[in-house]
Amino acid sequence: MPRVLTIEDDVVTAREIVAELTRRGLVVDWAEDGSSGLERARDGGYDAITLDRMLPGLDGLSLVTRLRECGVQTPVLMISALSDVDERVRGLRAGGDDYLTKPFSPDEMAARVEVLLRRHGTAARETQLRVADLELDLIGRIARRAGAELELLPTEFRLLEFLVRQSGQVVTRTMIFEAVWGYHFDPGTNVIEVHIGRLRRKIDLPGMPALIRTVRGSGYLLEAD
Amino acid sequence: MKLIDLWRASTTRLLLVYGGLFALWCVALVGVIQWDTTRYLSNVVDVKLDNISRYFQTIDRSRLPEALAATQALDLRDVLSHGVFDAQHNLLSGNLARIPDELPLDGKVHLLTQGVQRVEGHHAVRARGIAVHLTSGELLVFARDTSVVDAVGAIIQRAMFWGLPLIVIPGLIGALLLSRHPLRRVRAIETAVQPIMRGDLRQRLPVSHRRDELDLLAGIVNTMLAEIERLMGEVKGVCDNIAHDLRTPLTRLRTQLHRLQHETGQDDPRAALIERTIADADALLDRFRALLRISELEDMHRRAGFDQVDLLATLRHVREIYAPLAEDKQIAFSLDTPGQLPAIHGDPHLVFEAISNLVDNAIKFTPPQGSVRVRTSLDAGGGPRIDVIDNGPGIRPCDRSAVVQRFYRGASELQEAGQGLGLAIVAAIVRLHSFRLEIGECSGGGAKVSMLCWASVE
Repeated sequence: MPRVLTIEDDVVTAREIVAELTRRGLVVDWAEDGSSGLERARDGGYDAITLDRMLPGLDGLSLVTRLRECGVQTPVLMISALSDVDERVRGLRAGGDDYLTKPFSPDEMAARVEVLLRRHGTAARETQLRVADLELDLIGRIARRAGAELELLPTEFRLLEFLVRQSGQVVTRTMIFEAVWGYHFDPGTNVIEVHIGRLRRKIDLPGMPALIRTVRGSGYLLEAD
Repeated sequence: MKLIDLWRASTTRLLLVYGGLFALWCVALVGVIQWDTTRYLSNVVDVKLDNISRYFQTIDRSRLPEALAATQALDLRDVLSHGVFDAQHNLLSGNLARIPDELPLDGKVHLLTQGVQRVEGHHAVRARGIAVHLTSGELLVFARDTSVVDAVGAIIQRAMFWGLPLIVIPGLIGALLLSRHPLRRVRAIETAVQPIMRGDLRQRLPVSHRRDELDLLAGIVNTMLAEIERLMGEVKGVCDNIAHDLRTPLTRLRTQLHRLQHETGQDDPRAALIERTIADADALLDRFRALLRISELEDMHRRAGFDQVDLLATLRHVREIYAPLAEDKQIAFSLDTPGQLPAIHGDPHLVFEAISNLVDNAIKFTPPQGSVRVRTSLDAGGGPRIDVIDNGPGIRPCDRSAVVQRFYRGASELQEAGQGLGLAIVAAIVRLHSFRLEIGECSGGGAKVSMLCWASVE
């Protein structure tokens, strides 16, 4: 079972992060300040870390820098009370893997932790992805559903690839926007909804079950087998 | 450094005025010297003429021609003319052909500007002359060239003619050279002021070790900047504290509502209420985030993500993302770009966010069957210009400055969903980049919002 370390000084927020991640089947430990967090992160053998940017004692940025200096490559989700105009750049440069601003929705936070866990697990480069009756040839950029080739635009292929890679877990629209287009802001509901709608019309051929599910209030889910 | 700038510099002007006055005084001084010397030399001539005429008056008439001839023989430079005339002014002896017309016969020395008529021909040199009556009733006339006096005057004039340029020209060059240094410092100050005008209040004007008036001024401005920075820091500190104080309870609120939702069964009658509460909380959080984002953007230090931005690539991205949205609303979306646009210096993410906000707004407010056009061109200054043109209701002139403010939403916008902060975020991004935002209308009555960028200098 994957183990996650939460480094967060606010007790209530920490409790909720722990509760949400535990609910999703992860084992979560909590460190209350920077120095104890660094110690446990170094020695604990965790699979992912959620790290508050502003901590008493050692702050988040220095913590992740030290961690990387020690050679610990555990993926880190930085959670910051500073919004992301250039704090994101700093956080990622220091060695963070993803960045989330407070206040956040727990779904978004958990979805990002799951992506980090998965990314860490599958470091090897795949050439083929397969979910249900959907096949993606990553080298030829060809998608097939039930053996029939789908005509997808490059963007649609990237979107589908992201959903397939994260299959079985909810992805939020900001996560989609970041992964497919590389921009870090909330584009509003409509844009992503429209692109998902187009993709659905192309991959759900008549008579086939819908592959992409909308999860109300959080995002989208491509069901795993 | 341009010559015109040097010309305008206060040092140059000061030195020029000083140089002009100096030249004027030189002329006056030399003039006085010349005048005085001439007067003195004339006086010497006059005394000589007076003496000589008195002397010959006393000589016996019969010996006079002989004595005059002897004097003539002694006048090696041939400057003296003389003549003895009868009462009818006919020449009796001497080398003067006739009595000069200008000479009054009063026994006093007078200036003869026309020169004198000699027996051997006209002698056109200026002379001074005297006519005295002899006891015999005849007239004795002497005239002496003043060429020596005039030659001295000419020497002084020549000295001034050559001397003055020698004083003025090096002075002029000196003035220009002296002005260069202060001008260079003013340029340095101008360069230092650029980032300050863009909002970076940490910068200061350069101060040299000379402690001259420029340093004094720079010092005053620096003190002022320090005070402004302190006040801005205080205001920002207060806002940041409020924001930070709000973040923790808002985070708690959202996460606890989330747990409440999960702990309440789907068939529980309170589930719908919790869901609505979460939706409201999310709307609140979205707005809160957008406001903080704007205030962070307005804090001009945030340029960590600045880089070269390829506008054409960014615009193609915008089209890729928003064209389907327009198509779903049956709005024609078009992108007119030239083959090339100069790169700009900026944060690629923020530039994209600004353009996509403009496009998103245009699509949001354009009715079905309408059109949204994104057009790029080069501004007069060489910077790229992006126009987003729609044929929606447009933005009323009275609302144009208000829509870029944080909380504004036009009356016609009310029925549309959205945070109402889109243009305010665009305005903040535009300010961060020192770009310009123009809100106008296109010929069809729709809105035309333009972003004017600067071409990157690299």
